[in-house]
Amino acid sequence: MFSRAVGFAVIAIAVAGFAVLWWTITSTNSTLTTPPAAIVVFAGLPIMYSWQAPPLFAVIASVIIAFIVVAIFVGLEIRDINTSRRSLKGDSKPLAPRVIMDATRGVFYGPVTVTVLVPAHNEEDVLGATLDALHEQTRQPDRVIVIADNCTDATVSIARARGLEVRETIDNRLKKAGALNQALSSLLHQAGPNDTFMIVDADTRLKPQFIETAVRHFTDDRGLSAIGGLFFGEPGRGLLGQLQRNEYTRYARDIRRRRGRVFVLTGTASVFRAPALKVLASQRGSLIPGIRGDVYDTAALTEDNEITIALKSLGALMTSPSQCQVETELMPTWRDLWRQRLRWQRGALENINAYGLTSATVRYWSQQVGIAYSVFALWTFFLLIFLQVVSTDTWIWYPFWLSVGAIFIIERVTSVWRGGWAARLLAATLVIELVYDTFLDIVFLKGVIDIALKRNARWGNEARPAGAKHVAQKSHHLDQGVES
Amino acid sequence: MTELHTGILLPESFLNSQFFVVLAALVALNTSIYAALAIAKILPKIFRPSIFRPGKYRRETRSIYPDSSD
Repeated sequence: MFSRAVGFAVIAIAVAGFAVLWWTITSTNSTLTTPPAAIVVFAGLPIMYSWQAPPLFAVIASVIIAFIVVAIFVGLEIRDINTSRRSLKGDSKPLAPRVIMDATRGVFYGPVTVTVLVPAHNEEDVLGATLDALHEQTRQPDRVIVIADNCTDATVSIARARGLEVRETIDNRLKKAGALNQALSSLLHQAGPNDTFMIVDADTRLKPQFIETAVRHFTDDRGLSAIGGLFFGEPGRGLLGQLQRNEYTRYARDIRRRRGRVFVLTGTASVFRAPALKVLASQRGSLIPGIRGDVYDTAALTEDNEITIALKSLGALMTSPSQCQVETELMPTWRDLWRQRLRWQRGALENINAYGLTSATVRYWSQQVGIAYSVFALWTFFLLIFLQVVSTDTWIWYPFWLSVGAIFIIERVTSVWRGGWAARLLAATLVIELVYDTFLDIVFLKGVIDIALKRNARWGNEARPAGAKHVAQKSHHLDQGVES
Repeated sequence: MTELHTGILLPESFLNSQFFVVLAALVALNTSIYAALAIAKILPKIFRPSIFRPGKYRRETRSIYPDSSD
């Protein structure tokens, strides 16, 4: 039953944090000091203001606690990465770099090759641009295969017209993950230690140096298992487009500040060393969830997030170099965005639930708890403002809180600085991005409820096949001992 | 002389109720926490300068070329 309550477990931890804060305030009487409002006359108008501020010691104490909590989770993540880096345990960490280096020491297995796989399901509108971007790479891929999955449009002919290899899936009902598994199962047989596979979404344009950079990294480090791209939003799509671009710009900044430490090997474009995928497939059903022989877990709603956790659990070394950039399609409407984010959110929760709380997943759990906590923080803030407004007939300015607001504006603007003036202007308004954040908060809560009610998740326009989920979930539970 | 204030929906005395006072403190502390985190995000991240990091010496090459000097 726990698997259905995973979202509530995450929320419960966040609520516990809130309860502790509430209890601390009531028991230490740390309420706000509110000196009586004073009046100044500005430009002929009376302005009421108050030097209301929380007690300094309470602020310092809560900030210190918050930083300690963040430091613990960051520390646990770094410790896990370092453990994998140093591990020689081929049985529990078969993809640890030192294990791989032991296996390839002193032998040259040929230069690094790149086979690009483009899974496509009716992508005639966008596939051309994706293939053009591949053609413009400073280092050309060695092979490009378009995997046409149940296409009823011109996808296949567009690919063939460019002289590219096309593989059509056979009886695939397991979406993108199923299509990739079909193709990889035959390709991996012939692949050697320096052959790599790059998975590129059909709506994603690579920046020209992506492959060159990836090849350099794989050549310089035979212990490296995967490289993830940094995704940026395409231009256009109005305000909603800019909101998504700002989000992606901040994500890329976070990854740079993490020095390339991967959070998700994005499904838009990531490169994998063949042996890593072989080990991954062979470990499904034992060290990691899934069906033995499958590279991608077909039960996962977000297969890119899942494969990242899988590789991390196996000790793999991976990185996101800042030159490996891609431009991806943005959701044109709020409805599309809702569907996309609901899938991401549900996928993220279901994935961490499938793996349980391990050293490889602790960072992902903490991220979900962080989201839940921020939902409460933001909504109690809205509630407070609402109650304040409906309980008074005078408007009072609070200089302390105005300065805090200024800090938030500076943070929002600097974090999207690279996105250009449109990004900075939007961020400076603060309110519009707050509305966007509230939208994402609602998606989070909807995801939690949907998992609890076992509602069928939707992929784009089609319902996800329930049978696939059932079979794979069964294997998760058998292997991981997760209660059903 | 005391002025009697009434809000739009609730009496102004609600602002002095235990619930509101604690809620206000809770939001104030949370906002302070997020402001501190925002400051941490504004500031450039400090990494260990290279002279304090272990050298680039490796016991063996990590390159795919066994004879590489990297």
